[in-house]
Amino acid sequence: MADDVIDLQVWKGDWGLPTVDPACLSTLSYCRFSGVPVKLRKTGNPWRSPSGELPIMKHRNVTETKVSEIFSYLRKQNYGCDFALSNKQSADAVAFSSMLEEKLLPAILHLWWIDGKTFVDFTRPWYTKVLPFPLNFFIPGQKQKQASLRVYLTKGGTNVSDTELEAKIYKEAKECMNLLAYRLGKQEYFFGSSPSSLDALVFGYLAPILKAPLPNNQLQNHLKMCDNLCSLCNRILLRYFPPDPEEGAKKKKAEASKSQSSSDLQEFPNKKRNMVLAAIFALTAMAGYALLSGIIQIDIVDDSNSTSDKTNSTSSYFSKPQTYNNEPVFEDNDGYDDE
Amino acid sequence: MSSLVAEAIQAELGAYEPWPDNACLYQPYQVEQITFPDYANCLSVKTFLHMCGLEFHTEVRTNAEEMSPSGKVPFIHVGAFLVSELDPIIAFVNTRGFQLSRDLDEGLKSEMRAYMALIENVMVNAELYLAWIDEAVSEEITKPRYGYIHPWPLNRLLPWKKQSNVRARLDSIGWAKKTMDEVCDEVKTCCQALAERLDSKQYFFGDKPTELDALVFGHLYTILTTRLPVSRFAEIVQQFSNLTAFCTRVEENFYKKYGRDF
Repeated sequence: MADDVIDLQVWKGDWGLPTVDPACLSTLSYCRFSGVPVKLRKTGNPWRSPSGELPIMKHRNVTETKVSEIFSYLRKQNYGCDFALSNKQSADAVAFSSMLEEKLLPAILHLWWIDGKTFVDFTRPWYTKVLPFPLNFFIPGQKQKQASLRVYLTKGGTNVSDTELEAKIYKEAKECMNLLAYRLGKQEYFFGSSPSSLDALVFGYLAPILKAPLPNNQLQNHLKMCDNLCSLCNRILLRYFPPDPEEGAKKKKAEASKSQSSSDLQEFPNKKRNMVLAAIFALTAMAGYALLSGIIQIDIVDDSNSTSDKTNSTSSYFSKPQTYNNEPVFEDNDGYDDE
Repeated sequence: MSSLVAEAIQAELGAYEPWPDNACLYQPYQVEQITFPDYANCLSVKTFLHMCGLEFHTEVRTNAEEMSPSGKVPFIHVGAFLVSELDPIIAFVNTRGFQLSRDLDEGLKSEMRAYMALIENVMVNAELYLAWIDEAVSEEITKPRYGYIHPWPLNRLLPWKKQSNVRARLDSIGWAKKTMDEVCDEVKTCCQALAERLDSKQYFFGDKPTELDALVFGHLYTILTTRLPVSRFAEIVQQFSNLTAFCTRVEENFYKKYGRDF
């Protein structure tokens, strides 16, 4: 039925991921795991969301934007991948999701939004490209402010300096990744051989760290050392997010046009030089013609002369045809009588 | 200092020093001044130190919050070191060789840390919400207590400033706009998870207490025994009989048996 399909808006994807934002990725993977019929819309516009954030899930008359609320709504609709979990495992899932939010999220926020180099080189250009005009002017700055408030107010203290805070946050994030790796062990997914909501959350947080080409990524280096977490992410990507053939063709086209425009760019410096030289030549030719044909005349005026001479020369600037020997055309003795 | 550098130094120096006799825990005045979120933290730390069998005495100071290295109470003064907040204190105590969870394997240790993060994420924020955002409690209980020691007008300005700090902090994680019902739902989910995990065992990970037990006891005992105009949190915790039995058990084993004060 048409109204059973759930409408989901997420951020656009990149680098092999269907979407870039951790919350959107968690929601999308939970829907894929549970087999929820989803109509996916990839947008760059969070303006229409009630809270200003993506993902937005719309179903019948209900709109939800937070990940935990989306999960509980889907559970109430009997879509879920957690039915096989025992009570104790559900309790563990709740605890681990809190741990992710408490220990890993601050480091991710810091890396994406607060670290100066990453923000300027990577995050801000990406979001500026994706957001429509005029949102691309102020939304990246707004998100940066939200991220820094969240990190500094919850993790900072009155006498804690920025470098200490940074060290603390990254240390906790690395410990969190180690703890997740210990808990996962050699299993396929966290609770056995089928994925659950916890796998969706972990995948949502870890996949962007793994795949995004960030310039200075100590988290990525640490994550690559945790083999089982990397293989979990890759396994989920292969199984539930197979590369879309349409999107692959689009990407190839985009890359081809990019290479074409870059080859244009290589000829461009020469073109510009030629254009400038041609312009200078044209200007010189026109100025020379104007001088020679008398349209513009340059008089050199002696300072000792009276003002009448000066007015003569000024009047001669106004396109009056002049003879070459600078005599006025209308002479008194040319035959016209004033009588 | 509770920084990385300090921890490295502690690991070097502290490992060779035994626990001194004059270790001190600093907290605000208990009867008139301390607010119940801070009291929960202090109780967790005290219980943890008792569980490790470490001796310390409690110093009450009106300006304990300002004395603390990170601005939060409680903090301990051991030898040449000042360490505040539960997580750094646990790390500090571990470098001295006292570790409650040393017998757990790695998978169980990570579960323990996850449950501790759950308490921090839900209980701490819920207590802050109840103390500072809820109208009745903040006006009648929290603000008068916080400003108790200061003369007018500081006893109005300082609580107001603290309230706006707490509100900004809860706003940054999206809790400030929640209704009381939503906060109670979060508390209930947390208690359910804890009750499931505890089941019918003595402590959360078997017969011996761990750091998680100290943390849970601190927060649940505070919720159960603090008299507030709004007692919804206490009612939620009382629905889980194994949690209340757990609190009674810890109180019995670590406080009443030795005649210790809270």
